[in-house]
Amino acid sequence: MMHDNGGPLLSIRALRTTLATEGGRVTVVDGVDLDVQPGEILGLVGESGSGKSMTLRSILRLIRPPGQVTGQVLWRGRDLVPLREAEMRAIRGREIGMIFQEPMTALNPVLSVGAQILENLAAHTDLGRAARRARAVELLNLVGIPAPAQRVHDFPHQFSGGMRQRAMIAIALASNPTLLLADEPTTALDVTIQDQILKLLQHLRETLGMAVILVTHDLGVVAQSCDRVAVLYAGRVAEYGAVGPVFATPRHAYTLGLLRSVPDARHARQPLRPIAGAPPPPDTVGATCAFMPRCGFATAACAAGRPPLVPAAEGRLSACIHGDRLEATEWAA
Amino acid sequence: MGGMTMELSTVDLAAPAQATEPLTRSAPGEPVLVVEKLTKTFRRPRSFADLVSGQPPRRVHALTEVNLTVRRGETLGIVGESGCGKSTLARCLVRLHRMDSGRVTYDGLDVGGLSGTALRRFNRRVQMVFQDPYGSLNPRMTVRATIAEALSVHRMCARRDMPARIAALMDMVHLPQSAAGRRPHEFSGGQRQRIGIARALALEPDCLIADELVSALDVSVQAQMVNLLLELQERLHLTVLFIAHDLRLVRHLSHRVAVMYLGRVVELAETEALFARPRHPYTRALLEAAPELDPTRRGSTEAALKGELPSPVNPPPGCAFHPRCPAAIERCRVVRPVLAPLSDGRLAACHVAAMEDGIA
Amino acid sequence: MSGAAPTLSEVPDEEVVPRRRRVKISVPLALGIVITLFFLVCAVAPGLIAPYDPLAFDYNNLQVGPRWTHLLGTDNFGRDVLSRIIWAAQVDIQIALFCTVPSLIIGTVIGALVGYYGGITDAIFGRLVDLVITFPFMVLVIAIVAVLGPGLNNVYIAVTAVSWVFYARLVRSEVMVLRQADFAAAGRVMGYSDMRIIFRHLLPNAMIAVVVYWMTDMALDILLGSSLGYLGLGAQPPTAEWGVLVSDGKNFMDTAWWMSVFPGMAIVLCGTGLSLLGDGVADLLAVKR
Repeated sequence: MMHDNGGPLLSIRALRTTLATEGGRVTVVDGVDLDVQPGEILGLVGESGSGKSMTLRSILRLIRPPGQVTGQVLWRGRDLVPLREAEMRAIRGREIGMIFQEPMTALNPVLSVGAQILENLAAHTDLGRAARRARAVELLNLVGIPAPAQRVHDFPHQFSGGMRQRAMIAIALASNPTLLLADEPTTALDVTIQDQILKLLQHLRETLGMAVILVTHDLGVVAQSCDRVAVLYAGRVAEYGAVGPVFATPRHAYTLGLLRSVPDARHARQPLRPIAGAPPPPDTVGATCAFMPRCGFATAACAAGRPPLVPAAEGRLSACIHGDRLEATEWAA
Repeated sequence: MGGMTMELSTVDLAAPAQATEPLTRSAPGEPVLVVEKLTKTFRRPRSFADLVSGQPPRRVHALTEVNLTVRRGETLGIVGESGCGKSTLARCLVRLHRMDSGRVTYDGLDVGGLSGTALRRFNRRVQMVFQDPYGSLNPRMTVRATIAEALSVHRMCARRDMPARIAALMDMVHLPQSAAGRRPHEFSGGQRQRIGIARALALEPDCLIADELVSALDVSVQAQMVNLLLELQERLHLTVLFIAHDLRLVRHLSHRVAVMYLGRVVELAETEALFARPRHPYTRALLEAAPELDPTRRGSTEAALKGELPSPVNPPPGCAFHPRCPAAIERCRVVRPVLAPLSDGRLAACHVAAMEDGIA
Repeated sequence: MSGAAPTLSEVPDEEVVPRRRRVKISVPLALGIVITLFFLVCAVAPGLIAPYDPLAFDYNNLQVGPRWTHLLGTDNFGRDVLSRIIWAAQVDIQIALFCTVPSLIIGTVIGALVGYYGGITDAIFGRLVDLVITFPFMVLVIAIVAVLGPGLNNVYIAVTAVSWVFYARLVRSEVMVLRQADFAAAGRVMGYSDMRIIFRHLLPNAMIAVVVYWMTDMALDILLGSSLGYLGLGAQPPTAEWGVLVSDGKNFMDTAWWMSVFPGMAIVLCGTGLSLLGDGVADLLAVKR
């Protein structure tokens, strides 16, 4: 899969999403910058309220009015934000596919799985009727559903949780998307089934050259299946970079805190070193570092203004002014 | 063991017990909670087709002949995927479910036969914290009312000492005193779980069953709860049953770990032994499937385990794991392996592991 | 944070974020409160509000239409219609309460027990409900009143005998859902008695639905009382009651419409007020989970 001059497939700049609530307008995505390269798996990781799912939905503009998306979402050089709804539909589900946490709510319960794949094939490809049927079975086979020729007639409720997630991936793949947005696709699944789905996504990426944005709250999932990671906090990108270096030497105090919160096999039954407090409710952060109130490294400089996301090392970005001080801290000694 | 029950009945509920001193009967490290051949099935509603064809009602086999021993003062971790029966087990142990057959004894006391006052007295000693922070607290009661109710029903302390005791309990779970007058909806998930723990601790139990205590919480809050559990166990000498699906947490907290699959315990071992050298193929697959935090150590590109959980309505014959097991032999399809010691003393229910050790 | 692992007490926990509790009284609720309060005051102290003696005949002003001296006109004996409506509120509010409160209490208790324990009692209760709802409510009440004899006391007995079933059915379904909640299980593990779990933990959470139903039920019972009064089965003359007033005025519809129309409007207004109050109270009582 070749793309125009090797630039990023998707380039997000200053993405801001606001939702209307009873208490007024709330900013849930607060100026996010991200790049997705062709064929890579980018992990979006964060706790509840970090805006990771909202960022994903904003890319496809799946934000209902009076919710608002501003900023720039450059899809192969074309800005999606100002597009009209009809133009957006040509991209949504065709060039960019999406899968969700709970397939049962995303699948149509009264249509067979096959019918839902056929629907997508009819909408996004110019295959003939017979070719579409063959392709539907082929897709179910591709996502690892046993006996696809029979199961193509089954309804979503006849599938188990893991199989439903596979079916949803098959539906998303019907249009040969170049980018797949996966919103916590394994959170509702058991660990062995999660493993199967993650391996499937990696396999599809290898064989189809498709890029994936994987939203998750599980650092282990990121470590095992992503190429690059963006750590989100309070609707902002805290840190961005290749998974290896970010996990080895975090350059943002929040990333460090997250990694320290996870039990380490070498220190069984020792107290952990969790981040104090809880993630802030949306839009309660002022013009400071969002993480400052919970941060053990915070100084007066952190309150001076919102730290920009700046290069911290080769190919890495961080919005922490104390990134260098963290370097000296071994997080998992 | 008859003498034990006699002794129990003399416990005066009104006596103000010290929070730091549990009603210890057996010595630390001795078996305190013994589960033998615990079986629990749930009846499924009969479908019309079944009714016409005269089929008996189908049953979901939630627990099948589960054997377990919990030692005083230890943390026993119970892991397994959904449908393995770990929550049903917890609920059977505190008598939220009646067991079909088998025997559960707590300090020699037959739990299955308890009723009325004796059951209440047992409940005081074995407490449970629930998974859902949003459903396990009465939404109409303040923190103070929730704890006070527990104290007054079991007459844990004199009425005039109650405010001080409530304050002490809230302090024990690190809830600020200002929280006393608030209702559950004003708290985050982690704080609600603290309230649930404070309520359980009000009865000064010596055993705490934590059913997916932290599963619904954010990573950073999970870590705070882990610390709280460790601290409480040290201060109150609690015996803890930590039930979770997160292997990292179970490994961190538990002295020993039991792995469950489809209503059975398939392996039970010291934590380090289990994680270093899992012997049951299911344990092995589970460990391999759990995503490790170190990106430099990526697993294979193949999934650790193929297929999905069989239906608990018609569990496979022989070993319940054999349809998915990469090591299954003919015997596994026919003979159900029992949980038995291997050469290093750990328990496993696997023909292949037993043969490797030259036992079967 | 660097260096050796901290001791347990070093790591601070989540803070409790105080949230302001806002009690927002919506326009419909305010309206409901005002209307209901008005009728309550009428019922408690009619003498203070009513401009005339409701029983005083005034042969100089027979059947005069609405005017400043008689805002809602007078009846065929020259009695002030407004005063009669105000005095009648006493009877109608009494009907609303006496028809509903006993049913509410009996139905709630039975419904809670049946809902919590289920099993055979629930099966028996189910058949009873089927039996009662097969008959139209009105027909059943009239049949019982016919046996017992006319009069308000017998109306109360008849209505209670039938309508507790509806409260019980409502509470049963609410409790059946709530008993599945973990806080019910927690109560059992805490060693609480069934009665405590049912009446202290489950029932308070089921009461929103009951309160809403109660308000509409009161409105319906006022209508019922009025209907029975109209039929001569309820309040007996000379007790002024809205239904009786409507009934008295029906023969004069072409000459003195106000004799029937204004009491009728009082019925409608009171019913509306109670409904608005019920919905508003439900919103206020709803707790966040």
